[in-house]
Formats: sequence, structure tokens, C-alpha cells
Amino acid sequence: MFDDDELLFSERPEWSDVTPLEQYENLNPLAPIFYTDEYKDATNYLRAIVKSGEKTKRVLELTENIIKQNPAHYSAWQYRYETFITLLFPSSPPKPSKALATNPMVIAELALMDELAVRFLKTYQVWHHRRLLVALTRQPRRELGFIKKSLEADAKNYHTWSYRQWTLAFFGGAGGGGGVAVESSDENDIDFEVGEDLWAGELDFVDAMLAQDIRNNSAWHHRFFVVWGCGVREGELDRERISKRELIFVKQHISFAPNNPSAWNYLRGILRHTSTPFSSVAAFAEPYTSSKESISRDNIVDLDNPRPGEGAELPCSEALEFMADVHEAKTTEEGVNSAVEIWKNLATEHDTMRKKYWEHRIRSAHRSLNTATNAA
Amino acid sequence: MSDQPSTLLSAFSRKAHAAHCKLCLSGLPASQIDVDGSRLALAFYCLGGLDLLGVLEEEISPRNREEWRTWLWTQHAKGKYGSGFRPGPFMTGRDPRISLQDPADYTNYDTPHLIMTYTALLSLAILRDDFSKLDRKGIIAFLRCCQRQDGSFSTVPGSNENDLRTLYCAFAISNMLDDWSGVDIPQAVAFLATCRTYEGGYGQSTFCEGQGGTTYTAIAALGLASAVTKKEYLTRSEKQVTIEWLLRNQDDSGGFRGRTGKEADACYCFWCGGSLKILGAESLVNSEALATYLSRCRFKYGGIAKAPGESPDPYHTYLSLAALSMYPPQVHDGNSTSETWKFGVLDPLLNAREETVAWIRSHVPDRKVHS
Ligand SMILES: [Zn+2]
Repeated sequence: MFDDDELLFSERPEWSDVTPLEQYENLNPLAPIFYTDEYKDATNYLRAIVKSGEKTKRVLELTENIIKQNPAHYSAWQYRYETFITLLFPSSPPKPSKALATNPMVIAELALMDELAVRFLKTYQVWHHRRLLVALTRQPRRELGFIKKSLEADAKNYHTWSYRQWTLAFFGGAGGGGGVAVESSDENDIDFEVGEDLWAGELDFVDAMLAQDIRNNSAWHHRFFVVWGCGVREGELDRERISKRELIFVKQHISFAPNNPSAWNYLRGILRHTSTPFSSVAAFAEPYTSSKESISRDNIVDLDNPRPGEGAELPCSEALEFMADVHEAKTTEEGVNSAVEIWKNLATEHDTMRKKYWEHRIRSAHRSLNTATNAA
Repeated sequence: MSDQPSTLLSAFSRKAHAAHCKLCLSGLPASQIDVDGSRLALAFYCLGGLDLLGVLEEEISPRNREEWRTWLWTQHAKGKYGSGFRPGPFMTGRDPRISLQDPADYTNYDTPHLIMTYTALLSLAILRDDFSKLDRKGIIAFLRCCQRQDGSFSTVPGSNENDLRTLYCAFAISNMLDDWSGVDIPQAVAFLATCRTYEGGYGQSTFCEGQGGTTYTAIAALGLASAVTKKEYLTRSEKQVTIEWLLRNQDDSGGFRGRTGKEADACYCFWCGGSLKILGAESLVNSEALATYLSRCRFKYGGIAKAPGESPDPYHTYLSLAALSMYPPQVHDGNSTSETWKFGVLDPLLNAREETVAWIRSHVPDRKVHS
């Protein structure tokens, strides 16, 4: 991890004015960590610096060293941020501004964060620090580009996607609530790079992610967030048109790869969100419940009801479940019988893992049918 | 495959798993440096594992237990944001003022931590501490300092690091103290509702993808709140959607995954399984397949890993034991193998063995109020 010539802080003349402060461990501690000498050394100096309250340039060097050894050291991150702010605003309270983006200190910090985010992709603090910086510099577009690149390393990384959602909500002028509070009193003097056009590329971005992996649930979730979850932007005001567009989108993607729970969840999500009965897409779902052989192949392309692609594994258990829900919702004896038929199929053949659940559905459907009949 | 996998289960080597927990309590290699800022959580997973295995008293000497309690209390700190527990001594310099009678006043950089306070209370209860040193008023003040304007809770006062885990911990602590005056329940529940997703799960924070771990913290938090407000926070259909999503996360391996389309992972057997239990749907889980999956995650020298073939760690070991305690397999071999698969009964809301929760009930609340 270290260059051979990298000295311990205790060996560096420029740190000789600081008396290192050792960790207080007490007798018989729980789960002590056998620290390396490098870690002990650096954290001894951090404890000393925190005690003296020093917030100078060398503290950035010290905290960078610790963070690289332990990216989850949240106190080192916290002290680094405070030092950074003190150095950046020596004589005035911190204030977000676009001009900060060309400040050499800010550029260096963001460059370091770009490096660390790739190295410590799964560490919360790396992303958290980034949020604080970007809330100051107000350059969300750079972030969207960075996120896109960083998803190349791990297309389902939870922190990366959360950060994209936060960036859009925080800067995109729709909803907000992403978590970082920045002085709001004098927002008028700040030249924000804020606006709805930040969202303009999001659907293309989702398309690109799904083109790489049609089963990437993070991308599906992101689509829901963009279209339904975080305000309505110009160009999307005609919700009926948007519903239609989304239904076509998800149906098409199901036809490309029917056994894709993410896509079916998205379909259910839209229908519930728009209070549309599941039965309205029964004509689409039905063919996916048949076995391969029984599908009629014709050349009619029906955008509303795209057929399963050639070679699709059928029947698809998500479609079976969906159609059972459609039948059950009819609340007729015939409907319940059809649903029960499907559930039996799922329990014994197509989704035996959830056997107990399907049996439960059968029991409760019979029960509510009986209650309904008795009441009538 | 789900009908009779139980016959395939080999004996659960309780000694070996206990040894894994004990080994981690005695020390961790430098490669685990990233737990430096969350050592108390790791200690809880180890102690909780020993508790569920029912071997704490036989494996750990009374003197040792006493020393561990003492060490835990040295993480108890009192100061301007109230009282609570730190993750460990990683920011505490040698300081002669530190003593149990007079908890150290903290700076902004070694304040108590909300998640660690929750795990410390559980750990002390597992070690049967009498909680005579607990600064109850101070903890309530600390919770108040951690709740943010949007209803969420920060990990440490003033931090922007907030998600559903911290909200759950604040609720769990209030439940343990039997005092909810430190939290604004309606505001917190309103924040929690913004984390619900179209899939029926809950994301880590507003707008995030539904995830098994944060779904557990959401469902358990609502359960804890319901017990005191007597309110139902989810409609029948919301519950139904969540149950369906959780059940769909049990994949063909028998294990649960944390998100749609991801691989199964031992810890989600607890996070999803625990949520289902709280929602009253435990009978719908395929517990035989679940145990089969977890049995494959066992490391041959003790400990349980996140997936078959991976290295074990206390987090996955504890959560697997907790999952097995809720979903014990039916081992009908009529001999000693079935005994090895039995664990202490778990309270799914607080995530601790029932006996430990009973200890909490009788020792953590303020007796002056409740006697
Ligand atoms: Zn895991």
C-alpha cells in the first residue's frame, strides 16, 4: 500500500512540532484491531491535531493518508471537510458558488474524490464527502458524467445510483429532499447550475444501461424515479401520453426477455401508480403464460401487445402470477377458479420455491369468495 | 427440491461457530481496518451469535464478561449533545480524566453514534449488565439532537449521514427505554414513507432503490412505533405488495437476495425473513430451502459467509443464526442432528434473543417512572 520511501508521520521533520496522541484502549477490549504501524502512526497524529484544533494544509495530507488506509474512518472525513472549508473560506462563512469550480483546491479535492470513489466504491463516506463538495460547487452536470463512468466499474452499485438520484433531485429543481442542507438565505446571489434540463438525458441514460443489461433493477428503479417518482417536468405534463409511452416501453422490454422480474415489477408499479387495473394489460400478458409451442406466429406487429420473442422461455412465471391477479380481481367464481388453476401450476411446477405462498393465495381466494357468497 | 432437503443437512457445528465469534472478539487482523469506526456493531454480532447459540455462559468466564461490560461502558460518553456510545476508542486519546464515574466529555469528533448506541445496549443486555450507569435522560437528549428537520436521523449529531438504519435505531432505543419523548414519531414516519418504492420495498433514503436491509429497518421501525401509538401505518394492500416483493427475493438457491435480480446473500435471509416475520407472513417462507442455502454458506472451520465459498465474518454469522432461529428447518432424523439446528428464540423487532429482550424490559427503562 505504501511506497518504500513514504515516511511515517513520526519520522517527518515537518510534523515534529506535534506530540502524537495514542489510542486509549483499556484492559481486555472487545474486538481490538491489530493495527499496522502506519495506521497507528497516522491516527496518533489525527487525534493530536483534532485536540489542538489545527486546520491547516498539512491536515489535508494527514487525513488523505488515513482515508486511504481506512475509507470508513468517518471522523477523518469530517475533520478533513472542516479543514477544507476553513482553508477555502479563511475570512468569510462558507457560501456555495459556481466560481468555486475553478478554484485549484476544489479541483484537486474533486480529482482525489474521483480516484477514491473508484477505489472504495462501496464506502458510504466517499460519496457523502462528494455530496458536501458538490453542494458547494454547484456543478451537477460534471457529476452525472462521473457517475456514468463509475457505473462502468459496477453497474448496480447502490451508492452510485443513490448519488445520481440525489444529484438530480437536489439540483434538478423537483422535490429536493436529498439530504444536504446548504445556506438558503442568500440563494439569490448564487448563479446555480440548476434546472429541469438536468433531467433531459436521463431516459436515454436508462436506455443505455438497460441495453447493457436488461435485468439491471437499479436502472429500472431509476426510470421509475425519473418518470414517476420525483416531480413532473416540462414535456412530460401530458401524463396520459407518458403512461402510454411507459407501457409500450416496458412491454417491449418484457418481449425481449420475458423472465425478467425487474420489468414485471415496473409494469405493476406503473399500473398501481396510475390506478390502472391489471386487467387492462391482460391481452398483453396472456401469451406469456402459454407454453412455447402454442404461440401463434404471425407477422403482425402490435405495439400495444408485443409477442414473446423467438426462443423465449415460456411460460413465464411472472406472467402466470400477473394473470392470476387479473383473474382473482374479477371476484367471480369463474375468475377465482382460473386464478387457482394458475396458482396450482406455480406451486407444483413453475415456481415451487414459493409453494407455500401459492397455497396461501389459493386458500385466501377461496375464503373471500365464500365470504362474498355468504354475504349475498 | 423444497420438499425434503432437510435430510441433507449435516449437523450444525455449534462449537466451531462459537469459536469464530470468540476469535473475532479476541482480535481482528489489520485487513479489517474498515470496522475501526464501527467496532461496537461488530462486537454485538459476535456476542449476539454466542447468545443465540446459547453458549455465552459456558464459553465466556464471568470475569471476562465483567471486563467486557467495563470496556463497553468506557465507550459511553456524555456531553453537549447528550449521552450515548461511541463506536470504540478510535478517536479517544490516552486521557487520565476518563473514568467510569465521570464519563468523558466529548468533542465534535468523538461524539456518541446512534447505531453504536443501539448495539451497545443490546450487547450490555446480552452480558446481563444492570444498567445502573445508564444516563437515560442523556440518551433521550441525544436522540433529539440526531433527529433532523425532515424527520430522519443522523448517525452522529450534525452529520448529513442519514438513512433508515438510523431511524430504526432511534426507535429501537426509545422502545428499550420505554420512553419515546426523544423522537417525533409522526415526522419520522413521514420520512420513512418517502423511502417506500413502487416494488414494495424501502430504499436507504428518499428516492433510492428498494433493498432488503433497509426494508427490514422500515418494517421493524413501523412495528415498534405501532406498539406505542396503536396505529396501523400500512394499508392492507401496501402490506400485501411488500410481502410479495420480499417473498420474490427468495431465489432458486433458497437464499434471499437484497434487491430484485441480485444474487442471494446470507444476511438477506435475516433482513427479508425478519421483515416477513414482523408482517405476520413467516409461514409463507420456504424455510427448508432457506436452511439449505445457509448450510452451504457455512465455513468448514466455523463461521458463516455471505455466500457459499466465501470467507465467514461475524455479521453474516450472526444474521444467519438469527434467520435460522426464526426459520428452523424440520430435521426429522430422530437423532442429535436436529438438536444442533435449534437456536434461541429471536425477537424480530429488536433483533435479539427473547431472554435478552426480557432483560432489557426489566433493566433498561427508568424504574423511578415505571415502578
Ligand atoms: Zn450480506
